[in-house]
Amino acid sequence: MTAKLELRGVSKWFETRSGDVVEALRGVTFDVHAGEFVSVVGASGCGKTTLLRLVDGLLAPSRGEVLLDGRPIAGPGLDRALVFQLDALFPWRTVLDNVLFGLEVQGRLGEEARRAAGELLRFVGLGGFERAYPHELSGGMRQRTNLARALAVDPEVLLMDEPFASLDAQTREIMQAELLRIWNARRKTVLFITHQIDEAIYLSDRVVVLTRRPGQVGDVLAVDLPRPRRLDVKRTPAFGALVDRVWKRIETEVRESVGVPA
Amino acid sequence: MTVRSVEVELGVGAALPRARRRGFFERHQSRIRALGSIVVVFALWELIGRFVITNRLFFVPLSSVFASAGDLWARGELQLHVRTSFLEFALGFGAAALAGIALGAAMAVRRALRDYLDPWVAFLYATPTVALAPLFILWFKLGIESKVAVILLVSIFPILLNTLTGIEGTDRHLIEAARSFGARPMQIFAKVMLPSALPVIVTGLRLGLARGLVGVVVAELFGAKAGLGYLILYSAQTFDMAALFAGVLILALAGVVSSEALKALERRLAPWRFVEVER
Ligand SMILES: Nc1ncnc2c1ncn2[C@@H]1O[C@H](COP(=O)(O)OP(=O)(O)OP(=O)(O)O)[C@@H](O)[C@H]1O
Ligand SMILES: [Mg+2]
Repeated sequence: MTAKLELRGVSKWFETRSGDVVEALRGVTFDVHAGEFVSVVGASGCGKTTLLRLVDGLLAPSRGEVLLDGRPIAGPGLDRALVFQLDALFPWRTVLDNVLFGLEVQGRLGEEARRAAGELLRFVGLGGFERAYPHELSGGMRQRTNLARALAVDPEVLLMDEPFASLDAQTREIMQAELLRIWNARRKTVLFITHQIDEAIYLSDRVVVLTRRPGQVGDVLAVDLPRPRRLDVKRTPAFGALVDRVWKRIETEVRESVGVPA
Repeated sequence: MTVRSVEVELGVGAALPRARRRGFFERHQSRIRALGSIVVVFALWELIGRFVITNRLFFVPLSSVFASAGDLWARGELQLHVRTSFLEFALGFGAAALAGIALGAAMAVRRALRDYLDPWVAFLYATPTVALAPLFILWFKLGIESKVAVILLVSIFPILLNTLTGIEGTDRHLIEAARSFGARPMQIFAKVMLPSALPVIVTGLRLGLARGLVGVVVAELFGAKAGLGYLILYSAQTFDMAALFAGVLILALAGVVSSEALKALERRLAPWRFVEVER
């Protein structure tokens, strides 16, 4: 398999307004193969969002390089789409117009695009809400609109920052299954960020565990559960063993990051 | 792509009972109260004018004001005053709106321009610009140009500053989202910054409009041959209280109507800022 996405010794630090330097990521190295589903888990504040913004091209690394198809990333591109952690919807646009935003700025707006966008909205359970405005939606509905907006541009690489965080448990499970279906049907490459270990394992081919800030790769584990995976795979012993392994790896990190010793 | 719908699980599409229809008085409560208040004050005005302050040099009942306005209309004078002031205002405020929005937007996106203009904007905004009216009369003579200049100068700053702060206040998450989809700087400006700032710009227009109306009167106080400000000044000098109040009322009405229209526009442009709250 070829690497679609490669991170080579990527470090990122920010200078705050007070002049302090915050190191968010340190020497992060891993790759994502074409068509692979990779999740990143780690404690809050360990640099997961920063990692995605680097891959999307919104930020440049302070050190190291991020390669897409072997070429350094120079900025945002049509081949990638980011699902933001905070649903950054445009309040003056309807749900449908929000979903069409990416196609519109890329000059790809047509009848076919509109039809596909309508279908996407039904997929995320927002059929009938095309003309609603974001302020008329619940948090979970906004988050699903946010997801549909990224899917609408049909990117090769889907970057997802805790996209299901504000969904209830049932909707979340349905969306996970649907995401796997899309990924499988369209052979997309997915880099997925989540707080939930079981979500990471259920969805992924590999899980990257980041240490607490500055985030470094603590572990990369392959999830060798057969696909397609049904939801009840979550209750098998093999699944439980994987969850345990990831949890052990990040438990200390999480405890330290919230100041509760073991 | 075929996608399975999750509508069923989410309960979308279930029939809802129609919301209870609120009664006429309930729906228009605020308006009815405002109207009632106006009626009471106008009635008091009439009564005080008739029975309390009977000296016509100080005060006149509302009915005399209407009668005077009718007289002026019949003689064709009122139309002339209104037309003159309206033209001055339209030109001055129109220019202020165009220049204010253009300059404010340019200052928001071009750091250097902003640095150069900032001290002058601060300086001129803080100056009571109506004090410059006599100077403008000297410069532009008594024609319409001097009035347009005064109105332009007094009304441009709230428009400019609101445009500037509105565009600068654009949520950076929205800008980043647009960038992520590959939007170019011009697209970010047109599709994100401008729509996000629009309600704030309209507020600026409303503030500028109120100042512009003051500008009309002040500009006409110094050398004018017609206009509502001229009517007010002239009536005061001839102790014609009824005509004076007629001029004032027309200006007030113009102010209220246009500012309410802009308020309505603000609500239409940014419904998410006016989510209904129970009071
Ligand atoms: N633009 C910035 N300027 C300064 N510091 C920043 C900036 N962006 C992120 N940081 C810092 O970098 C660190 C990592 O932030 P990041 O948002 O990547 O964390 P995260 O892993 O996504 O956290 P969470 O799980 O809570 O979303 C934090 O300490 C944060 O304060
Ligand atoms: Mg984050």
